[in-house]
Amino acid sequence: MQNRRPAFWFSSGIGLLLLCLLANLSVGSVWIPFGEIVGRFFGHPFSKESWETIFISYRIPKAFTAIIAGIGLSWSGLQMQTFFRNPLAGPYVLGISSGAGLGVAVLLMAATAFGFSIGTSGFGTWSVVIAASIGAIGVLLLVSLVAWRVRDSMTLLIVGLMFGSAVSALVAVLSYFSDAEQLKLFTIWSMGSLGATQDAQLPAMGTAVVIGSIPLLLHIKGYNAMLMGENYAASMGIRIQNLRWAMILSTGILAGSVTAFCGPIAFIGIAVPHMARLVFKTADHRVLFPASALIGAIALLVCDGISQLPGSALTLPINAVTSLVGAPMVIWLILRRNFSREF
Amino acid sequence: MSYFRAAMTILKGSNLKIGYGSGLNAKAVADGLNFSLGKGSLTCILGPNGVGKSTLIKTIMGQMPPLDGEIFLDEKQLQSYSQQDIAKKIAVVLTDKVRGGNLSVYQLVSLGRIPHTGWLGSLSQRDQEAVEKAISATQINYIRALPISEISDGQLQKVMIARALAQESDVIILDEPTAHLDLVNRIEIMQMLRELAHRERKAVLVVTHDLEIAIQTADIFWLMQCGSPLVSGSPEDMILDGQINLLFPNERFQFDRKLGKVVAQERQKMAEVFAPAEWKIWIELAWKKHLGTFDIPDGEIHVQTNPTRLTWKEGTLSAEFDSLSGLIDYLKSTFSTDKHSP
Repeated sequence: MQNRRPAFWFSSGIGLLLLCLLANLSVGSVWIPFGEIVGRFFGHPFSKESWETIFISYRIPKAFTAIIAGIGLSWSGLQMQTFFRNPLAGPYVLGISSGAGLGVAVLLMAATAFGFSIGTSGFGTWSVVIAASIGAIGVLLLVSLVAWRVRDSMTLLIVGLMFGSAVSALVAVLSYFSDAEQLKLFTIWSMGSLGATQDAQLPAMGTAVVIGSIPLLLHIKGYNAMLMGENYAASMGIRIQNLRWAMILSTGILAGSVTAFCGPIAFIGIAVPHMARLVFKTADHRVLFPASALIGAIALLVCDGISQLPGSALTLPINAVTSLVGAPMVIWLILRRNFSREF
Repeated sequence: MSYFRAAMTILKGSNLKIGYGSGLNAKAVADGLNFSLGKGSLTCILGPNGVGKSTLIKTIMGQMPPLDGEIFLDEKQLQSYSQQDIAKKIAVVLTDKVRGGNLSVYQLVSLGRIPHTGWLGSLSQRDQEAVEKAISATQINYIRALPISEISDGQLQKVMIARALAQESDVIILDEPTAHLDLVNRIEIMQMLRELAHRERKAVLVVTHDLEIAIQTADIFWLMQCGSPLVSGSPEDMILDGQINLLFPNERFQFDRKLGKVVAQERQKMAEVFAPAEWKIWIELAWKKHLGTFDIPDGEIHVQTNPTRLTWKEGTLSAEFDSLSGLIDYLKSTFSTDKHSP
């Protein structure tokens, strides 16, 4: 309203997103040239038939998984940072991803124990989403219960780390008592992958992220009020309890469902909101939510492109790449600007 | 006059009991509070720490239920309001630190419109006018584009007041708005609050410990003291009838009506002073500060101005000094008893 900054950055961001999408679709063990991909979008068939299969059944789902996961993780990170007024809050740091992991582990173990199988069927997909979300929401409930009693952001962070460790330990205990088959399933899941979503899974993940963003959209004004802290927000008629539940449900479903499909992915949730604040120079959540979605999608597309190790047949786990890129970025953000002035 | 004031009452408390918890666990902080807050005047709450001022504010804001008694906001029971309706009637400036470095002054002020806007919080023409009005009333137009991390504490406090104004409430409550500010800013903020109360017909309620500035600016004082009811009246009346001394339960400190400030009441006799009136006041204050515990024989202090010359006469002895501190130092070193110089 006072400047044209957001409009400029949104249009260049969308341009960059399309470019990254194109690049992401072209790299991998098989290189598909840009021109061919652009041509394919306009209805020209590929010059090699094998590309069609790779493109439709592998590259396209993977790219859109990256976009959806980037949006979901960034939105959960932004909500947590504003609600807890803590610049270092994020689904991975506060143990939310571990909670989702515990949910999935319990489900996998229970599946074998009760003799049903978690396949790629609709039931299996949704049960994993629901288990991961319940796990994530459970940890969030505990963390915010502590945050309610101790209003100190450093304590909150430590408590989040402790919950994360405790939950990981529970998962370790579960794996110790499980047989090889379950263990393999869980280990593959926990390494994280954007390429594991097929058929029914991508629409399911999209639906879960849409459901998870509803509470967020309903409370954008509340998040803006929270910039001034709980007491001021309450004095302006914001019902903090409602906002707390919205934050817990939305973050739990977003981070939980993304983690269910892609495994734990570090640093996107914590770093992307800061990049959005840095680029768009605003604290207004009406700008920050779309901006974080845009940057989150770009970030995960780029990380996925890197993980394909262009020019080789190898693929790195996505979690390793986001950590390698994200950890230095968070350190740089901390060194570059005084976080304590931000929150 | 009393009818006039009653017609402007916006907030009323009757037999209010405030505190924490509920039922058997309830812990009352203050009891039997009766008050009425008028539009168009600046009211200051004064009282020692822990007497329940902050609890009273939270109760008035509707964030804590009263343990007993009733609060009426615009002639309706406070409990019948929703949180959002209270927000349209009462705005606050709290002691909470506001950070959010990316927030600009304009954005922070426009957050005050939250109770009036739709679900996205977009500002209508009407909302923008209210924000502009608040910005010009607090004279912060020149910093409107700056991020709040780059403005001074005094400027930030004005921005917070502007945000409260933008809320367009009848009542504005401020919790120690001048704490941590320098003297000029403290006076400026309180004067601004006084002008806003009068010009915009707001009921402005300020919790403060700054007695001297409060005397200069407030229309009404509410005095709170542990174990006694809330007393209200104009600051001048309270000084003249001695009620102001409710603030000082310790008899050593009393409000000096002539000096207009709080002074330690030492029973120590002091020398007879022959000097111009303003000299007399400061010699007395310096004597109380420095020589309260000294055993000094009866003497006289004579002051000549142009050039400054102070003479200490005690019996046949006489000593001359060219400054007050010189005289004080002389008396200190001459009459110090053994217990002061081990």
